[in-house]
Amino acid sequence: MSEYDVINSRLSRLDTPDKATGRALFIDDISFSNMLYGAILQSPLPHAGIINIDTSAAEKLPGVKAVITAKDVGTVKYGVSPARYDETLFCQDKVRYVGDEIAAVAAVDQATAQEAVSLIKVDYEELPAVLSVEEALAEGAPQLHAEYPGNYTAQVHQEFGDVKAGFEICDLIKSSTFVNKRQDAAFIEPPGCVAVFDLHGALTLYSSTQVPHYVQRTVAMVTGLPVGKVRVLKPYVGGGFGIKASANANELAACFLSMKTGRPVKMNLSREQVFKLCRARHQFLHKMTTGVKKDGTLVSLEHECYLDGGAYSSFGIATVYYAGSLLGGPYKLQNMKYDGYRVYNNKPPCGAQRGHGGVAARAAWEQQLDMIAEELGMDPFDLRLKNMMQAGDVTCNDLNMSSLGMEECLQTVQDGSEWKKKKGRLPKGKGIGMACGFFVSGAGYPIYRSDTYHCTAIVKLAEDGGLAQVYTASAEIGQGSDTAFGMIAAEALGVPLSDVRVMSGDTDMGVDLGAYSSRQTLMTGHAVKEAAEDVKHQVLEVLSKELSVPVQDMSIKKGRVVFHRQEPDFSELRTRYIKEHRGWTDNPKDEPLTFREASRIAYLARGSIVGTGKYKPHELGGKYKGAAVGTSPAYGCSAQVVEVEVDLETGQIRIEKMTDAHDCGLAINKTSVEGQMEGSLSMGLGEAMFEEVKFDARGRVINADLAEYKIPTAVDMPPIETIVVESNEPNGPFGAKEVGEGAIMPTIPAILNAVYDAVGVRIFELPLTPERIYTAVQDYHERQKAS
Amino acid sequence: MLLPKFEYDEPRSIEEACETLRTFGETVKPLAGGTDLMVNMKKGVVRPSRVLSLKKLKTCNRIEKLDATIRIGACTLVAELIQNQVIADTLPALQAGAKALGSPLIRNLATIGGNICSARPAADLPPALLVYGARVVLHSQQGPRTVLLKDFFKGPGQTVLRGDELLTAIELDRPPANSGAGYLNLGIRKVQDIDIINGAAYLALNPRDGTIEKVRVALGAVAPTPIRASLAEQALQGQKPSQDLFVQAGQAAQQDCTPITDFRGGAAYRKAMTSVLVRRVLETALKQIEK
Repeated sequence: MSEYDVINSRLSRLDTPDKATGRALFIDDISFSNMLYGAILQSPLPHAGIINIDTSAAEKLPGVKAVITAKDVGTVKYGVSPARYDETLFCQDKVRYVGDEIAAVAAVDQATAQEAVSLIKVDYEELPAVLSVEEALAEGAPQLHAEYPGNYTAQVHQEFGDVKAGFEICDLIKSSTFVNKRQDAAFIEPPGCVAVFDLHGALTLYSSTQVPHYVQRTVAMVTGLPVGKVRVLKPYVGGGFGIKASANANELAACFLSMKTGRPVKMNLSREQVFKLCRARHQFLHKMTTGVKKDGTLVSLEHECYLDGGAYSSFGIATVYYAGSLLGGPYKLQNMKYDGYRVYNNKPPCGAQRGHGGVAARAAWEQQLDMIAEELGMDPFDLRLKNMMQAGDVTCNDLNMSSLGMEECLQTVQDGSEWKKKKGRLPKGKGIGMACGFFVSGAGYPIYRSDTYHCTAIVKLAEDGGLAQVYTASAEIGQGSDTAFGMIAAEALGVPLSDVRVMSGDTDMGVDLGAYSSRQTLMTGHAVKEAAEDVKHQVLEVLSKELSVPVQDMSIKKGRVVFHRQEPDFSELRTRYIKEHRGWTDNPKDEPLTFREASRIAYLARGSIVGTGKYKPHELGGKYKGAAVGTSPAYGCSAQVVEVEVDLETGQIRIEKMTDAHDCGLAINKTSVEGQMEGSLSMGLGEAMFEEVKFDARGRVINADLAEYKIPTAVDMPPIETIVVESNEPNGPFGAKEVGEGAIMPTIPAILNAVYDAVGVRIFELPLTPERIYTAVQDYHERQKAS
Repeated sequence: MLLPKFEYDEPRSIEEACETLRTFGETVKPLAGGTDLMVNMKKGVVRPSRVLSLKKLKTCNRIEKLDATIRIGACTLVAELIQNQVIADTLPALQAGAKALGSPLIRNLATIGGNICSARPAADLPPALLVYGARVVLHSQQGPRTVLLKDFFKGPGQTVLRGDELLTAIELDRPPANSGAGYLNLGIRKVQDIDIINGAAYLALNPRDGTIEKVRVALGAVAPTPIRASLAEQALQGQKPSQDLFVQAGQAAQQDCTPITDFRGGAAYRKAMTSVLVRRVLETALKQIEK
């Protein structure tokens, strides 16, 4: 039995009734009278100078209310990190990818807006385009940004320990190269927004976003409005996965169009536009060399990585750091060298996606570790256990594993999958593989350099105490954060979840950096807990005065006041409460003092009872350049076992079973934790097996829909066993930490290792299409025959 | 992306539909399930000025079991092909093709006629229809004409259907007792895929000596149109079914196909898979006879 009354259980999510009945409001459900519809003109060319933009025909079209270009909105540079603000809302001099924004239109309806866009005449001077890392880095290659020569968005060069010296004492040194493919997060809801510029000069933006706070700041910066005049609200969101974690051109264009017309403007992206405008996972090319001793001790890792970045930075500068830093653990590794290059080219920009920066790196390394285990004659589990860090260990790049249930994760997936019975004993064509991984539980620093709190929260009691309202600017995007915060508030206050209402996703409710880097449960959770405890303390203070009982001798549990020592006579308080509620039929009688009574008394004494909370991480390790990317107050970790069957004649892989264990610290809502685990596995499976955004020779996406970009269907998902491992995270609220992204880390390498076990050939490129498997196996047999 | 403006007709009879087709010619597009047409119109790939809905053509959505033939109305839903007992009992390969097509939501809209007329090389229904020797009934104001399905396809999206004609029905001979057929497809994921290759086979055995009396093998996504694999068929004709024979037929089928490399798959892989698929689908057909 849990020591808690609300958390660490399985409760129905607060949004379930609305979502199950279709009442939940998503962005496209929001409309206003007099609303206009916006559309964006996007470049048809991958790289071209803009000679002239003629909007006259579009402006003359009946129903068109505004046409805006860079001339109207200016060229304030923005982006994700202030270190790489490299884009303007609209292109002025040149376009850098097929999809680059040139102009926007607001009209009385969608059809008119689209027609107007088609009437804007742009004269281009086509420039040579570079469509890959190799082309972009070639000598004399066309340059995308004058400020960033060589087409490098960013380069990282780090060394911890002495890698070369490490290699000298190694018994085995293994090198391999690995490449994944550009992803699309394929969230169910394409982004959209409605901008409303009111008669007081204030702008309200409703948007399908993960990060109201960052959108608010970017909108304020680009439009020139004060932050206080920009309010960003997020309705329910149909998934984000990192792609909705920054302001986008659609939002900015809608704001300008509303400011220009004085009318609400709605702008939705189509699925095709999602593929062009939404910045998902990069293609990473990893070259790794790992050195070990014969007993399996890891000594050195030398790592080089190239990110196929696309036309703008987006999250890229953080991505290239994460791609290196997240290999610091969970193994004891003294020496690590990393050279990372994030490279511009004339394709749509890439950004952050679940497991930001670390997924392909983890896949490459965990596969290499498997190769090492095999060559050393060690079981893959044993190699990992041999090197596993313990809670309290610090990686060579200063990541502090303040809690780490990695060993328990390994143990439970080994047992849960019956690994020992299966490994090495499966028939040809069947295979079993495993891998580990970990991820930050919230970025240690905001995206912009600042001393800001990462989140603030308010808990306010209704006048009768029957309801505690939680106000947070955090973002419920389908992951269940509202429910988690409701549960945390209820636990901290001592009331049932049914007495708590959560209001979130509105910048008017405070500051919250939003739903990215798996940060909310830990960070917002702290702020909510603090606010709820503040409220509780205020109520108990009043009670203490009324009953002459010290505050520390009382608490609130399950909606009742608990007296730790002798119960005082509270009949006078009850009488006052009942007098205040004449005619009520549910007044308390022969029961312990209720929280409602106490709250009413507190209200009578002090007015509205409002508690506040805030959080920012304590000082984190790492003083080197780039230490801000990877450091976190805590790390979630996981281990997985995957079983596959491969049709050796066709190369088709069937994933038969996945067993996953994740250490999320203390689970606030176990069902939500499992949901995140299953979602991570599904996304990882898709990336491993099917998904790839493909381009033609002119830089156009050729599979910009969900028929040709293949995500897993329900039929492709195998049975999944999810095992929730609970450590106690000292830096987490009630000991909680992340699950949203860490769980995806082992999925791809576990599949790779299982496929190798089944076919006997290592595959170093994703996705694992039947053709790739078939060809690899054929090539291997050809080579065997030849030698 | 929005639908452009267009005129809309809902004829009540085939005659009325044919008259519209004749009057407006190439500017009109028949609309059955719309799972291709609506998407392509939104994308601007096709721009008909008039759309001719077939949903009121009552005679076009029936499956009829006649003495020697089965007649399937062109507007029969793919979902119906899965549920219909006549199809399940007599044309199991067609049922298998229907099950492989799209998702339940698509199958509830898409029609057999649409799947044929869109003439996509990787379509799921034509291979099975080809091995059952299907004929298509094409109506114009002059009346109906019947064309063998194998002569119907001309290229990707191209058929012998004239601008004034409407495909109204598919006719198939009822397979004899000693026959069997199968359909298989291979894609990237398990369902809702555009096949890298698909195929069907039909075998009828001589009841006296067990030799293959009649054989048809058809393949999709390995040529500009769904094709009959005639070399594979020749290798099988008159022979006694065996594992070795099916392997040989599979190898022969490689010479029947002319696959291309596109973003969905490579020509060499498609060719290699032809052998595997043909062998397996022949095994499926044989198993059915033995059932």
